[in-house]
Formats: sequence, C-alpha cells, structure tokens
Amino acid sequence: MLDTMETLCCLAGVVGGEDEVRDYILERVMPYADEIRTDPMGNLMVFKKGAVTPAERVLLCAHMDEVGLIITGFSDDGCLQFDQAGGIDRRVLMGKPVYVGPDRVPGVIGARAVHRTTAEQRKKVPPMNEMFIDIGADSREQAQKSVRLGDLAAFSDSVVRFGDGFVKAKAIDDRAGCATMVELIESELPCDCWFAFTVQEEVGTRGATVAARNIQPDVALVLETTTAADIPGTGGKDPVCRLGGGIVIPFMDRGTIYDRQLYQMLGRLADENGIPWQTKTRIAGGTDGSAMQRSCAGTRVAALSVPVRNIHSMSGVATARECEDQYRLAKLFLEEMAK
Amino acid sequence: MELTELTRTLCTLPGPSGFEEPVRLWLEDYLKDIADEVRTDALGNCIAFKRCGKPGAKMVLLDAHMDEIGFVVTGATDGFLKFAMLGGVDQRMLPAREVRVLTEPPLFGVIDVLPPHVLTAEEKEKAFEPDKLYIDVGLTQEEAEKLAPVGTPVVYASDFLELGEDKLCCKAMDDRACAAIIIKAFERLSRQELNVDVCCLVSTQEEVGHRGAAVAAWDIQPDTALVVDVTHGKSHDWRDAPCVCGEGAAIGIGPNMNAAVAAELFALAKARGIAHQTEVVPGGNSGTNAHAIQVSQAGVATGLISLPLKYMHTPVEVICRKDMDAIVALLAAYVESREV
Repeated sequence: MLDTMETLCCLAGVVGGEDEVRDYILERVMPYADEIRTDPMGNLMVFKKGAVTPAERVLLCAHMDEVGLIITGFSDDGCLQFDQAGGIDRRVLMGKPVYVGPDRVPGVIGARAVHRTTAEQRKKVPPMNEMFIDIGADSREQAQKSVRLGDLAAFSDSVVRFGDGFVKAKAIDDRAGCATMVELIESELPCDCWFAFTVQEEVGTRGATVAARNIQPDVALVLETTTAADIPGTGGKDPVCRLGGGIVIPFMDRGTIYDRQLYQMLGRLADENGIPWQTKTRIAGGTDGSAMQRSCAGTRVAALSVPVRNIHSMSGVATARECEDQYRLAKLFLEEMAK
Repeated sequence: MELTELTRTLCTLPGPSGFEEPVRLWLEDYLKDIADEVRTDALGNCIAFKRCGKPGAKMVLLDAHMDEIGFVVTGATDGFLKFAMLGGVDQRMLPAREVRVLTEPPLFGVIDVLPPHVLTAEEKEKAFEPDKLYIDVGLTQEEAEKLAPVGTPVVYASDFLELGEDKLCCKAMDDRACAAIIIKAFERLSRQELNVDVCCLVSTQEEVGHRGAAVAAWDIQPDTALVVDVTHGKSHDWRDAPCVCGEGAAIGIGPNMNAAVAAELFALAKARGIAHQTEVVPGGNSGTNAHAIQVSQAGVATGLISLPLKYMHTPVEVICRKDMDAIVALLAAYVESREV
C-alpha cells in the first residue's frame, strides 16, 4: 500500500499535466479492469466486476493532480516567472528546488541574501509575481532553450519514511487515494465498482464534474487527504484533525455536506472493525465530492481522508497506518454495498 | 577527487558551527595522503602542511571554513523539537523545510507549518515567526527527549543540484565550495617544487564570528594568508550585488586586505589570463576569516579571494563552476611565484 503511494508521489502530475500519473495507473490496472474509459479532460475511469452487482451503481474517486507551479515568463537575466497551479501558500516556496517541464529541468526559487534585507523585508514574503526560478541560465535565450511558457514545475520527488511510521512526500494529496484505488482494483472486489481517477481537482474539481456525468453513479466514495494542523506553536488554532487520530470521515467541508447515512455507516464500519477514525473539527477544504454530489440528478457522497500535515507543500507528512486504513475501510464499504 | 565531486561530497556532509566533526574527520582522511602533516586543534580546525624543505622558508596559509549555518535543539513539545539558530539563518527559508537532526543515526525532520485553511488573510501575509516553528520528527515526547536531547545540532537537508551548463547548487556552498577550492590548490601545489611552506586550514566556527581561524592563525603564524570565502553574486532580485557569478575570482581590496598582496593577485591574474573581478570591501571587517587572521600575532599580510554566490545562507546557494577553477588557478599561481 505504502509502496504504491510512494511510487505515485514520485511521479509528476501538476494540475493540467497528469499524464505521467495516468500512464502509470493505467499500466497497473489494465490487467484487472473489465472496462476502461478516458475522456477529453484526461480522467481515467475503470470498471471492475465484483462478486455481486449491487442495485446501486458505486463509484470510488481520487484525484491524480497535485499542486505545483506553471511558468508564465522569462526575465532578461534568464530566470523563470511563475504562478501557482493549484493553491499554494507562497511562504513555503522560498529556497526550494523545483523540476520544470517534461525534461525535469532542475531549478531553485531564489531569495536575496538575508544579509542585505531589511527587518521589514524579512517579516514579509514577496508576492508570487516577484519570486523567480533560477535554472542556471544567464539570459532569456539560454533559459528558453530548455523551458517553454506554460511548462509545469513539480516539487522534489524525494520520499522519506521517518519517526514512528510517518512518511514525507509531495503529492500525498491525493496519490494516497489513487494508491488505495489501484490496490482495490488489483484485489477481489465484493461488488461491481467504478473507479474515477480524476484530473484538475486542485483548480475546482473540474475533472470530477465530467467524470461523474460519464459514470452517473448512485453512490460515490471520495478517497482523499485532508489538512492537519496538529502542531505546537499555533496559539490555540483548531487542529482540524490529528495524525495518528485515525482516518478522517468528514461530515461537512466547504464544498459538501456529506450524506448522513453514509457518514454514519462508515463510522459504524470503522468501530466494528477496530479502525480508529475521527472527523474534521473545522469546516475547511473541499473534495471531488462536491462535483459528484450535484452531478446529473444527484449522487449520495461520502469521503475517507488521510490526515496530512503541510498539505499543498513539497513536504507533506502522513502516517502509514492511516493510508492503510483508508484502503481497509474502503474495502469494508464495498462489502457493505454488496449486501 | 574531481572538483565538482569534491564540492558535492563536502556540501552534503553535516557540520554546523561548533559541530563540524563529520566534516573534519572526512577532511583529515582525505588530506593525510596529500600533506606532510595533518593536525587538529582545540577548536576542531583541520590544519594540513606541505613543507618545501628549504631552510627558513616562509609560510603561506590558505583558509576556508568548514562550518555551515544550522540549528540546535533547545527542547521538545508534544514530540516536536524546538530549536535555536546557529549562525545567520534566513527565517523565510524555514516553512515546510526538510532537515537532518544530527543524532546517531541522523533523524529526518520537517519544519511544519499551519495550513492556509486555518489562517486569517492577515496571517497569510506575514512570514512565519521562527520561535513558533517546530521540527516534526514523527516521535512521541518521550522518544524525542531521548533520541534528540537539548543540544543536538541540526542542518538543512538539501540535494546537490547541477543547474544549467555550469552552476552548482546546495546548502553549505558557503564555505565548503571554497574548502574544495583550497584543497584542490593544495593538492596541485603538493606535487610541485616550491620555495615556501603551505598550510591548508579548513577552519571552524566562522559563521559565529571567525572563532576557529583566530586561534588557528595564532598557532600557525603564517607570513601570508589567502582567505577564500563566498561573496554576494548578482541575482534576479539583487541586480547591484557586489560581484557576478561566472566572471571569475573576486579579489578583495580594502583595509581588511594587505594592499601589496591584493596588487600581486591582480597582476598574477592578468599575467596568466585568470578570470577575475574586483570586490571593494569598505571598513575593517570583510565578514570573513580575513578579519581575524589579519590581526593575528604580530599581523599577517592577508589577501581575500571570494567566490561569488547567489542566495547566501539559504539551502539553495548557487555558484558557478568556472569561478572555482579560476580561484584554484590564482591560489596556485600566487604560491608558485613565491621566491626564496
């Protein structure tokens, strides 16, 4: 489970450029799929038959895209201008390496030496349009030899396991959910199920919007990650959820009020099977569930989210236990749907 | 070892100010095959000598510092490590930063940040306050206190990157790139017949006030010293920085440098076609070990040659490989041309 997620996290799939992730998933699931669909957006939809065909059409959903940067210009001295692709707190960008475009050209987000900054400058973080990527080019022409406008830049793909079962990687949001779905497809399923690996979740659940219309599920379970603020020094900020506190079953976020029956069913299944779970204590974030829920004549939706610290940064942190429990609980959900 | 490889090896070793031992041990091992004598002093300076064998020979000292900026653990809260700075850390580099906690074996850590989802618009505009940041090592309070006690040093975890055609990027380029330079020059000189003794000093605790070089220079008592450190190179957000990456060795002039030594460095660079530029250093403190060495004992004729570097004291310090070659050539030229 963790190996699959780590492999997926290392792939570049910045929003709008999910191809590498889709190609890998396709290769993994091809031998196990009964039907495969793609669409003009780049979504990958996989159907697999299970032990029974339930009365309701069931869909599991996870997004392939990750947050990153998009190249918007070149400066005369060979640096790259950029904007965010998906929501990024710009304060995590300074002094970080990035890999630009299909050739993964290495670059770093530079910052004027602290020696020659004013106290005022040190307390502020420049706006993104004043930041730049240095790829070691000395002129615009030289930079344009290896990078094109619109190229996407991804964060470092190093994955580290550390501490008591923790893992650090970029793009855990939402390769965790993709890994759960890949491994489910590779297993024997209790019931027929559609799996939607979606694109462009990070810019407004745009892939899910059309994937939902394509499959028209009755019930959708979104396999996601969610923000954890369970760190010290926050002056009493709401932690939202905690690493080690169990898989998150949200009742509501900014996009969706989740189906009450499904929410309660997932909580009961977790309790009955000794899977620790928690819900979010703050109405924040959103998932593909919002698009799925309001698609066509409507869909009942629920979500299972892995808590992640530093989500939307290059250094997301999650626990192996909660990644594995997402898989276990999703499987129990399918067993329940088979009844 | 080839210069880029040597730089890569040195930069990726952990050695913040006061905790340089891993770097020193590596240097001792590497230098013992080149030098006549390698020794370590009370502050952990690594000092290597090559004697010319001529009676009454003068001594030229080559200096670069081995320490890097970093952190030290000052406590733990809920298993997260509190830390203080070692040297001039840029606090804007800290959010979502990966670090190595220098325990045995080292622990991986991430400086966690609050997600934007729970912040107000006003909070999102301000830099994170360093005294409210903690290192996440994925441990319980009890484990954290046991494995990473107060006083444990920490460094940035950065990959060594080759950027473009001729740029190198890593943490600790300041000043391991220059350590690599003086070692290459020392290596080259060690194979030649010389008229002077050469001392290769890779010094400690520069980032906290030139402390290592001060005591080493006292002990070595050189006649001349050439200090090699980094200086600011122009960058996109600092177009009028004093020097330019790729335009060669930056020869320092000003009160902290001996005028005759500087003049000779310029003359040699010109005569031998070594790429060079001028760095004017006003005042008595160049912010390098030259500050301490110049006034050691009864005074040392001190020159400063700098390697232009972009984004100093960040985990992504960038230098130009060509400038390193130029400085190696200039150091060698200076020592070779000493007369009896």
